[in-house]
Amino acid sequence: MKRHIRLLRTAVVGGASLALTLSLAGCGGSGDGAGGDSDTIRVLVYGDATNKVEKQLVDTFNKTSKVKAVLDTIPGADYQSKLQTIISGKQAPDVFFNWGGGSIKPFVDAGLLMPLDDFIAKDPKLKSDFLPSVFDTAVVDGKPYGVPMRGTQPVLLFSNEKVLEEAGVTAPRTWDELLAAVKALKAKGVTPIALGGGDKWPTQMWFQYVYDRVAGPELFAKAVKGDKDVWASADSRKALGMLKELIDAGAFGTNYDSVKFTDGGSPALLATGKAAFELMGSWEYSTLQDAYPDFVKSDLGYGAFPAVTGGKGNGDNIAGNTNNFYSVLKSTEHPEAVAEFLKLMYSDEFVKAQLAIGNLPTTTNTPKFLDTAANPEYSKYQYDLVKKAPAFQLSWDQAFPPAATTTLHQAVQQFFNGQSDADAFIAAMQSLPAA
Amino acid sequence: MTPATGVGRPGFAWAAPAAVFFGLFALVPLLLVVVLSFTRWNGLGSPEFAGLENWSKLLDDPVMVKSLWLSLVLTVLGVVVQTPISILLGVWAAGHQRNRAVLSAIYFVPLLLSITAVSVLWRAVLDPNFGVPSQATWLFGDGNLFGVQASALGVLVFVSTWQFTPLHTLLYQGAARAVPQVLYQAAQIDGAGRVRQFFHITLPQLRNTVVTSTILMVVGGLTTFDTVLILTQGGPGTDTTNSAYYMYQKAFKSFDFGTASAIALLLVLVASLVSLVMVRLSGYDKMRSTMEGV
Repeated sequence: MKRHIRLLRTAVVGGASLALTLSLAGCGGSGDGAGGDSDTIRVLVYGDATNKVEKQLVDTFNKTSKVKAVLDTIPGADYQSKLQTIISGKQAPDVFFNWGGGSIKPFVDAGLLMPLDDFIAKDPKLKSDFLPSVFDTAVVDGKPYGVPMRGTQPVLLFSNEKVLEEAGVTAPRTWDELLAAVKALKAKGVTPIALGGGDKWPTQMWFQYVYDRVAGPELFAKAVKGDKDVWASADSRKALGMLKELIDAGAFGTNYDSVKFTDGGSPALLATGKAAFELMGSWEYSTLQDAYPDFVKSDLGYGAFPAVTGGKGNGDNIAGNTNNFYSVLKSTEHPEAVAEFLKLMYSDEFVKAQLAIGNLPTTTNTPKFLDTAANPEYSKYQYDLVKKAPAFQLSWDQAFPPAATTTLHQAVQQFFNGQSDADAFIAAMQSLPAA
Repeated sequence: MTPATGVGRPGFAWAAPAAVFFGLFALVPLLLVVVLSFTRWNGLGSPEFAGLENWSKLLDDPVMVKSLWLSLVLTVLGVVVQTPISILLGVWAAGHQRNRAVLSAIYFVPLLLSITAVSVLWRAVLDPNFGVPSQATWLFGDGNLFGVQASALGVLVFVSTWQFTPLHTLLYQGAARAVPQVLYQAAQIDGAGRVRQFFHITLPQLRNTVVTSTILMVVGGLTTFDTVLILTQGGPGTDTTNSAYYMYQKAFKSFDFGTASAIALLLVLVASLVSLVMVRLSGYDKMRSTMEGV
């Protein structure tokens, strides 16, 4: 009898604790449900310093709109994986940040995104007020899915002018000049080119440019659509041969795979004069400005990637991140409010706020305000570069869908460190899923 | 009712909360993983049945085989490096001298730090151009520690050792203190020196602790993840991609949850096999007390 009472008591305690857990879980559930509040649109962005501008625009929007916008952020490194897990569920946002291209292709395939044709038909400026080479990045299967919402980030060849001068080298305009510069710098005992190979994507930047210069943008455009033959073409092999020549010349030193950009390793090499060049996105400028302001003032140089004589790609072509984009979910309950919100992305207020924090917007009204930029000269240089570029190659790992990233990054790293040869690289690229 | 029958084994209900937790957070997910491993799913929409596709792809995948090897290598290296150090430190720390107490407290500090913070710290310390390697080129050469498989694995083992040796030292310290003093006194009378005492009394008495500590190391070794994520990201190439990291890559970088689930199951199978073998070999299942008079 006693025993039964004890059993009962434990059952009650156990049951109570179980009920408590379940009710807590239940709380979580109802909290999520409240997210789908019918008088708001949720805007999800990549969490970083630019959120300041996004916050400001949301406030501006909320001043006049009946439907209120709510800004949510996800810290950088986790953005894509968290987005992928919530986008088809109840917590899905109405509008979200992305990189265009392959980063939204899986969502388009899953039928989650709204084509922006209707918005553009009602307000043509949603397309015509942006630079076409940038806007096109978020066109998937012939339909526009994104509106540019931050700054453009072309990849440039940065240099330490003082080191170049001491080695008697000028900024290289052609591939041959680059090879000659590498030789001269090596003779001086300087690592010619800083490379954050530990991050892998900086290594990929070299492939993007050399392939573009040798074969033109068409090769990669075909490859990303699933044409596997282009990787084995003569142009592809020529590009790989040139990269190999550069690596074997000791252009990157020997320990680049232990260096990262993300922990400040490779920019430090450039700024302290241990290396002469670094190929990096335009954000290199603000990274260096924060850590080495004196170096930026006196010795930082920047320029376009060298041209390749006899190559099919125009020397004015650029590569990098064209911009970031806002895409809209089909499931949004307030398409009109979303359209109004997107119109802010070409407003004067947007352009001024972005320029003030060092970003370079890609709207047609940007030139009017370039003098107000944090670094007017640098901003003007980039804007002209992007404007006159016949083609703007989206970073390979963003042009392909996320499923390809790991293989792609491993392939570029293994080609650089000699673990794989041209044939192995070509085979790896041919195994990538098409966008 | 006699008092004797009242003091029975605790009822099943006492185990209910733990059983429910285990069921909800271990068994149910495990079952879902089994189901997922037979599907194609990128996290969007609903999973599509794919039959044995993930499994056959995985068994042909050289990276998968390599990742299992790397898990094993990391585990074995971890045990081989950490065990002697922690036994020696633990036995030394078991002494009651004051300096030993103070130093033991200091040795314990790494265990209090987060493994993430520790990994970030060592990554910076080992930077080839601005860290320790640049100042000791006679030892590190060009400092390409993370660009070569052997040294990248070495760094992973070193950082785990630095972090987890204190835990095992603590286990051995406790166990060594529990060794009855009379055994040493008797040995002294028989003329055994300190080295003989260590090998013939301390080590045999620590036998059960060695088993416990080794099992902890093996479990930790097979599931090594944080250090790989922060220190090497599985590189160079796939040279430090162990199974746990490979699973993460497939799930959260490539969004191939089917394959990732298959890897997870494979890892569960391998780990179960290893622990089964260990339990059998060590006699952990029929462990007896080695204390005098017990």
